Amino acid sequence: MALMQIAEPGVAADPHQRRLAIGIDLGTTHSLVATVLSAVPTVMRDHEGKYLLPSVVRYLGGGEVSVGYPAVAAAGQDPHNTIASVKRFMGRGHSDVQTLAGHLPYDLVSGEGMVRLRTIAGEKSPVEVSAEILRVLKERAVETLGGEPEGAVITVPAYFDEAQRQATKDAARLAGLNVLRLLAEPTAAAVAYGLDKGSEGVFAIYDLGGGTFDISILRLQAGVFEVLATAGDSALGGDDMDHALAEWLLREGGGDSADPLWRRQILQQARSAKEALSSADETMVALPPSPGCAALTVKLTRRQLESLILPVIQRTLPACRRALRDAALKLDEIDGVVLVGGATRVPAVRALVEGFFHQMPLTDMDPDQVVALGAAIQADALVGNQREDLLLMDVLPLSLGLETMGGLVEKIIPRNTPIPVARAQEFTTFKDGQTAMSIHVLQGERDLVQDCRSLARFSLRGIPSMVAGAARIRVTFQVDADGLLAVSAEEASTGVRAEVVVKPSYGLNDEEIANMLQDSFRHGAEDVVKRRLSEAKVDGARVREALATALAADADLLEPTERVAVDKANAALAVALSGNDADAITAAAEAVEAAAGPLVQRRMDNALRRAIAGRSIDDLGD
Amino acid sequence: MVDSCFQCGAELVAPPALCASCGAVQPFRADLSLFTVAGLSEVYDLDVQTLRTQVFALQKGLHPDRFAHAEPTARRYSLEWSTRLNEALATLRDPLKRADYLLRCQGVDALGEQVKVADPELLMTQMIYRERLENIMAARDLPGMEALRQEVDKAVTKVVQRLKELLAILPCTELEAAGSAVRELQFLDKLVGEIDRSEESLQNV
Repeated sequence: MALMQIAEPGVAADPHQRRLAIGIDLGTTHSLVATVLSAVPTVMRDHEGKYLLPSVVRYLGGGEVSVGYPAVAAAGQDPHNTIASVKRFMGRGHSDVQTLAGHLPYDLVSGEGMVRLRTIAGEKSPVEVSAEILRVLKERAVETLGGEPEGAVITVPAYFDEAQRQATKDAARLAGLNVLRLLAEPTAAAVAYGLDKGSEGVFAIYDLGGGTFDISILRLQAGVFEVLATAGDSALGGDDMDHALAEWLLREGGGDSADPLWRRQILQQARSAKEALSSADETMVALPPSPGCAALTVKLTRRQLESLILPVIQRTLPACRRALRDAALKLDEIDGVVLVGGATRVPAVRALVEGFFHQMPLTDMDPDQVVALGAAIQADALVGNQREDLLLMDVLPLSLGLETMGGLVEKIIPRNTPIPVARAQEFTTFKDGQTAMSIHVLQGERDLVQDCRSLARFSLRGIPSMVAGAARIRVTFQVDADGLLAVSAEEASTGVRAEVVVKPSYGLNDEEIANMLQDSFRHGAEDVVKRRLSEAKVDGARVREALATALAADADLLEPTERVAVDKANAALAVALSGNDADAITAAAEAVEAAAGPLVQRRMDNALRRAIAGRSIDDLGD
Repeated sequence: MVDSCFQCGAELVAPPALCASCGAVQPFRADLSLFTVAGLSEVYDLDVQTLRTQVFALQKGLHPDRFAHAEPTARRYSLEWSTRLNEALATLRDPLKRADYLLRCQGVDALGEQVKVADPELLMTQMIYRERLENIMAARDLPGMEALRQEVDKAVTKVVQRLKELLAILPCTELEAAGSAVRELQFLDKLVGEIDRSEESLQNV
């Protein structure tokens, strides 16, 4: 046998030819990328040394897109074209996101399939928006590693359903990434945490991100991570705390709450106030002026904040109880509680977790980094950089079943079953002489078909004619280690067979992916002049909008001569905007800003005076 | 019978899934029992911790993640073995499923629809327990729920003990008694599930 060379599966032939692999945490508010360098998992930084990339994408028109901090900076002025928290729309239909839409300044396009957002660059699907974020992270990885990564592991909330997972994979393909695996965020956190500590035992991972909540219970034993249970809420997160606080501020501010610009500014203020109160006991919140409402400064204490957000964070507890029950564990069997996600920095959240689990949560790893680090470790193992010490046994996040009589769902594989898994169930015909059977595959925990997500339909034909109940049709579900589902049906006496590999309804087909890729190439080649023009137009329009807001609120702060100068500059900008000269528009916009300088200065002074006088919203109320 | 590696011909140690000498994953063997696949001998009274350790040690070598870059046949074998190992763990770790599996290996389907639950005493106990659970829910009586749970847990322990005795020597000779114990255990198992769900709904309101 000497001549036969047999490579061990997954062992790289040459240690110097280490395969490049990355882990990406595609978060609701922030995203980041990590890799394993010389056996140490490390986050990758941008040119300024920052590792967090805000998950915010701004479309400027003309194919120009800005992602991250520049987009965040523009969010207040250009809310319709600046998409934040797009993760909440992933794999969701228009009707799914109605409750969210009320909070958000986006222009949603109704219709079949995944929801789309109307922007200056046309209608964008959440997949395309997410791909912009992934593209930036991929570029960062290519620069840092000095080559294309061979594959990536991308994390998703454990509770993401098939459609949301498929949308995430599509976004990665669009960004030119080879997805090795989607990994549940809490599992990734446990991998990073468990390997770092070398500790064994049962861990609860409490992950409260910007837009999602996950609770997972894992056992780490002899290098094997076993997911015992997962539960959560795919529409609950730190954003909801911000919104709860923003709603309160909107009521206190008394302005036009339909004004998207103002809403966005208030939301940003709410977020900063919440962050400030993680360490301080009280903070001042400056409310920007809006039509019908002057600028205000409101005092907010940590206690007030806590009473506003308590209803939100208490919604995490039922899922914690469910996870414990699914894992068949008692509270005292949990060896450690790990906090993940920026929202777990809020002291009220920590107190709630401690109270529920009767122990201090572990917080010694950066909750922002830990998920990406875990993903990088798993990616490293999956490209074949052997890690004998690690095996991750993942589970099915949601139950899979079939439609039966009366619109009911019969579960074939319950959620939290370790994968890979195969399960079969026998069904029979319900009419005499029935020769075909329609098979409807569903995902979800509810009992009625209408409450679950439809994954696929197919038919088994050629069943021999028999009396009702005589045929024996065996339906088999097979889920592989990647979570991909294949369903087959077979009639026992004849062996007639039909099968389907599940393609979720919201996934994109190859043609759509190809079209989007071509579009993005075309945009990339767009000429510079055109891009600059659209940019100047967006900025010019923003200046006019801001001026209108300021004049509506505080026109009386201007002397008559100043007002004439402002109006003149504003009219000139309107003319420039109707033309196609980018430089002229930029110059006119600058002229308006200069003319409006005294107005801006005086409004600011007034706001400051009120703040110094200590007039909080409480005094102004009566 | 001694199995040998399909690739290098070396003798395989049980379970015959990976060749210790050349490392090749072997063609899947659907004929092997769940116990054999998990590398255990066929017993009812098994230690769940040992089972878990054993299955995970095997998964470390056979899981599809280990074959992400292997050729398609090896990947298929790995998927089949790994799926079966998960089935072994899920079935054998649970006292009810383990007993049911052992009986099915002897051709007895204790939980099949054809089997009539003929034990009037079991039916009566079942009714009494359900009534109590309903009353506890109506009164939102959490301490009462805990007392009921402890009582049911004790009943479970008793039935499992009986099964240990009935299935101490395999193949089992008292199939009728074992079948009835399995049905009783299933009923208690469902009751525990209902207690869990009821308790959760009381806590979450």
